[in-house]
Amino acid sequence: MAAYFLRESDLAAWVDRLIRGRPVWGPVAKKTQFVFAELHSAKELRLDYDVSLVPPKKVIFPTTQELVAFSPRGAESSIRPRPQILFGVHFYDIKALDQLDLLFAEKHADQNYLANRAATTIVGSSIQRVFKRAFWGSIAPEVKPRGHDAFLTKIRGGYLFETRTRKGEALVRSGKFVKATPARVEEAQQVNARMMARCPEKFPAPAAQVAHQVRFAFIKEELWKELAHDCFSCGTCNILCPTCYCFDVQDRWNLDQVSGVRCRSWDGCQLEDFARVSLGEGASENFREERFERYRHRILRKLTYLNEKLGGPACVGCGRCSAGCVPDIADPVRIVSRILEV
Amino acid sequence: MAARKPPATTGTENIFLPREAGILRVESLTATEKLFTLRMKDGAPMVYDPGQIVELSLFGYGEIPIGFASSPTRRETFDVVVRSVGRVSKAINRCEKGDSLWVRGPLGRGFDLPKLRGRNVLIVAAGIGLCPTRSLIQYILERREEFKKFTLFFGARTPKHQLFLADLAQWRGSDAVAYHETVDQPDGSWQGNVGVITTLFSKVAIEPDSRVVICGPPVMYRFVIRELDKIGIPHHRVFVDLERRMKCGLGKCGHCQINDRYVCTDGPVFPYHEIEDLEEVFA
Repeated sequence: MAAYFLRESDLAAWVDRLIRGRPVWGPVAKKTQFVFAELHSAKELRLDYDVSLVPPKKVIFPTTQELVAFSPRGAESSIRPRPQILFGVHFYDIKALDQLDLLFAEKHADQNYLANRAATTIVGSSIQRVFKRAFWGSIAPEVKPRGHDAFLTKIRGGYLFETRTRKGEALVRSGKFVKATPARVEEAQQVNARMMARCPEKFPAPAAQVAHQVRFAFIKEELWKELAHDCFSCGTCNILCPTCYCFDVQDRWNLDQVSGVRCRSWDGCQLEDFARVSLGEGASENFREERFERYRHRILRKLTYLNEKLGGPACVGCGRCSAGCVPDIADPVRIVSRILEV
Repeated sequence: MAARKPPATTGTENIFLPREAGILRVESLTATEKLFTLRMKDGAPMVYDPGQIVELSLFGYGEIPIGFASSPTRRETFDVVVRSVGRVSKAINRCEKGDSLWVRGPLGRGFDLPKLRGRNVLIVAAGIGLCPTRSLIQYILERREEFKKFTLFFGARTPKHQLFLADLAQWRGSDAVAYHETVDQPDGSWQGNVGVITTLFSKVAIEPDSRVVICGPPVMYRFVIRELDKIGIPHHRVFVDLERRMKCGLGKCGHCQINDRYVCTDGPVFPYHEIEDLEEVFA
């Protein structure tokens, strides 16, 4: 829609005004790492973060979300979105949210997600520090982020603020913005373009080619067993992934023991029981019983199965799974490199 | 590759909000299975295809995916059969006439009735696989003239594991269905065939132009399809009703995925040729 300039010294006052209006989630420091948290003051905001530990999807798709409340009177929908701002999201996490938007909307539209999404204003921000395991510069760079309402780029002396929607444009009223000059717009473009080349890791081939070759590799059991050999089935790679959205649904009683809630919680396809079905009399069937089968499922789901629907892979190159995996066997760059080798 | 345009995202309908159903009747089928006859409290008829599922729940315990066990022609009421296996199913099976259960559905893809009409139909059901196929069996028997030869194979582990004993007795003496049964392990009183369900294929002639429906324990499918291959029945005429952990029933939660398909929305009934190349179809 429009481009504005905000001086560095005016950022805090703007963010503090936004916080007074409604909840604002942004990157904050937690010891040496960063998380998305509800901001109490602009002082907490760390736009120089490299990556957040847990992706910002949690603001729209909470780790545990109440779906339905029940009581002796019956059942009630728990959809109650609150207006909020998700501030300082890197472009790769916006790409991930774009995917969730589509996946929760297709077939049976899930308003438990979509209503939260519609009530959220997303402000992207340029990457100032590069995460040591990131490869967002080389995985499907042709897929652009599109779900944000505005984008903030650090340039000399301040920020370029580009609005994309009316929700984004409305934020301008809270700060000391001036119309940006073409030179500043150009500078921001260069800042973001230069950043794309600075990732320490490089995805080894175009995503469409990888999709084909990874699918073809499905039957190479020995290869998957080798890759998954040290997997603990802990599910960390799932939980840290910005595009994972599998969940379990469980009921919880309230203390009164007559009412309660039905909730969903993040789940992970690497966990041993994820695809297990009870058959009765103690018998069960686990449709992905072996670790390598679950490990393979994750890789195919990230790099192959959803590509046609999403227009690219369900991996945005954030590097969280690579860094979070204790035996360090979850890195899509290394996995794909190995698959392409054999 | 172009991304598909996201569908409309407005609305407040909660796809997880179930509707209340009253229990009209409870019948113990075996030591572990109970049949519930349900009617929606809001009075809306349940309109479904045989083979579709509902998410059945008891608040405070949770939801389980269950196939319809009665013909959709009944409309006002429907049957489901619950086997006591886990926390939710055991709690549901403690419910009595007059209690309420909660229902989301119908969900998923059922049997393609137009593809079966006017054809010879063989149903191969084993164990609890008789429950979802009972919906189709009743439908065919009610509209018998719409189908050609109708053959039913039913296998159970022991005579004690046989379900729907009144139905079985009726089918044994019926001209409307060529009913053949077997048990893996007989007891002293069993007079019928002994052996796994595939042993029936050597005893009963099946027309190569038959449409075939398979529903049973995961291990069974491969062996039945091998028999069908011997007869020369092409895979697009074989319909498999699959079991998976269909937690949400809406194609979201991920538990029921077979490669890139969701059993809960793409199935649970699949024409076999659609999925035969998927590596994860059978255990």
